[in-house]
Amino acid sequence: MTPDDLLYTKQHEWIRVEGQTATEGITDFAQAALGDITFVELPALNKKLKQGDEAAQIESCKAAASVYAAVSGTVVAVNSALEEDPAAVNSDPYGEGWLFKIEADTPEETGSLLNAEQYNKHTEEA
Amino acid sequence: MIQKTVLDDLHTPLGGRMVDFSGWWLPISYAGVLAEHQSCRTSAAVFDTGHMGLFHIAGKDAAEWFSHIGTQDAPRQSIGRCRYGFLLNEEGGVLDDTVLVRLGAEDFVLVVNAGTADTDFAWIEARLQAPVQLENLSRAGWGKVDVQGPLSYGVLAPLCAPELGGLQYFTGIRTRCMDADCIITRTGYTGELGFEVLAPGATIRALFQQLVADDRVSPAGLGARDSLRLEMSYPLYGHELSTAFNPIEAGLGAFATDSHSYIGATALAEIRAAGPKRHLVAFTLDSRRKPAPGDAITVDGRTVGEVTSGTFLPSLACGGGLGYVDPSLASAGTELRVVCERGELVAHVKDKPLYASGTCRQKLNP
Repeated sequence: MTPDDLLYTKQHEWIRVEGQTATEGITDFAQAALGDITFVELPALNKKLKQGDEAAQIESCKAAASVYAAVSGTVVAVNSALEEDPAAVNSDPYGEGWLFKIEADTPEETGSLLNAEQYNKHTEEA
Repeated sequence: MIQKTVLDDLHTPLGGRMVDFSGWWLPISYAGVLAEHQSCRTSAAVFDTGHMGLFHIAGKDAAEWFSHIGTQDAPRQSIGRCRYGFLLNEEGGVLDDTVLVRLGAEDFVLVVNAGTADTDFAWIEARLQAPVQLENLSRAGWGKVDVQGPLSYGVLAPLCAPELGGLQYFTGIRTRCMDADCIITRTGYTGELGFEVLAPGATIRALFQQLVADDRVSPAGLGARDSLRLEMSYPLYGHELSTAFNPIEAGLGAFATDSHSYIGATALAEIRAAGPKRHLVAFTLDSRRKPAPGDAITVDGRTVGEVTSGTFLPSLACGGGLGYVDPSLASAGTELRVVCERGELVAHVKDKPLYASGTCRQKLNP
């Protein structure tokens, strides 16, 4: 269930690194815990974020959550389709439910992220 | 200690996620709030409402006696009718909102909220006058399920006596369901065609298991119950109603008239004459965000009220809810701001109910 080709944070974000660009979303574990997602607020394009900064907000029928930047850099794309219909975050969290893309400016930061095996272990302990 | 309904062990195997609601262990959702909401609006949903208090009131003079207790004018309530109303304190504050079902000349059931059931019972019992008798059916092993949705009649009819088809909106009868005695009312908290079935635990369990095996029926939890009732702009005790509020400002004065002398009637007459200081309004947001109880309502930076309930409204695809505002701002179309944790949201006062396509008054075709 947890894709092997992604990196993860302990706050249940994932990123897919392609060159300098990191596509970020929330994990299947996170979407299941939140339940039906009803609202997504995405970061402004060109916004500069530091690793750990709040980048997006998500509301579900049950809860509200912040999404933090997994790496530092500049926001270069957002999945604005989610603003009208955020259900893809539930149905396809690693695909159509991606949130935003960051042009990473500190690539070595990925060293602090978890691989799939480590992330699975983390969720089992949670 | 947390209380459990007669259906308690059946929820988790159906995927129910259980939470503490007013001291009761109940499912917040099963498949998901949005899917359950949609099932209720388009097909049928069954809710475990066994947490609600069910009081049997009977015996000679029961109708006359109750008319001095609650706002329902029991002697003038036709047999077979249900009436919404209140238990009030002497100041006109709401102790509880209730539905009184008249099943016979001196045979009533009062349905009350879960969180207030024990204090309601003690309050009523303290005012009881022989030969009227009061029995707490909830403490005698009874349960209740609400079967709601446009297909609810089709789903329920084969399990019940044929007289189900004669029930009009806000009526109720003693009848048969699952080959056992029960009480069924054509009432609900969703705005859809629907029924509430009140019966001893074994009957409710058999009915619930039969219903959830039907593909047309989704078990639905407290999450969908809340979004469905907010689309209908129905109040929830503890949010829109409490001893801090009176029925007039809640816009429910029609259920607390001056036709008879109940506790709180004198205070309400004064409030009615002076005009309420605030009005309960329904509003929607220009956003999918959900407002929260306690969020300030402002106009030009000035606080003019407070949100009492808010959620995402699935049928309207936006946030919205209920709140009290200054009476001058209560008309439909008024633009307001809701100040939530994350900033200000544009809101508009709307006519109640927010969702106007409910099937609750639909004619049955048995």
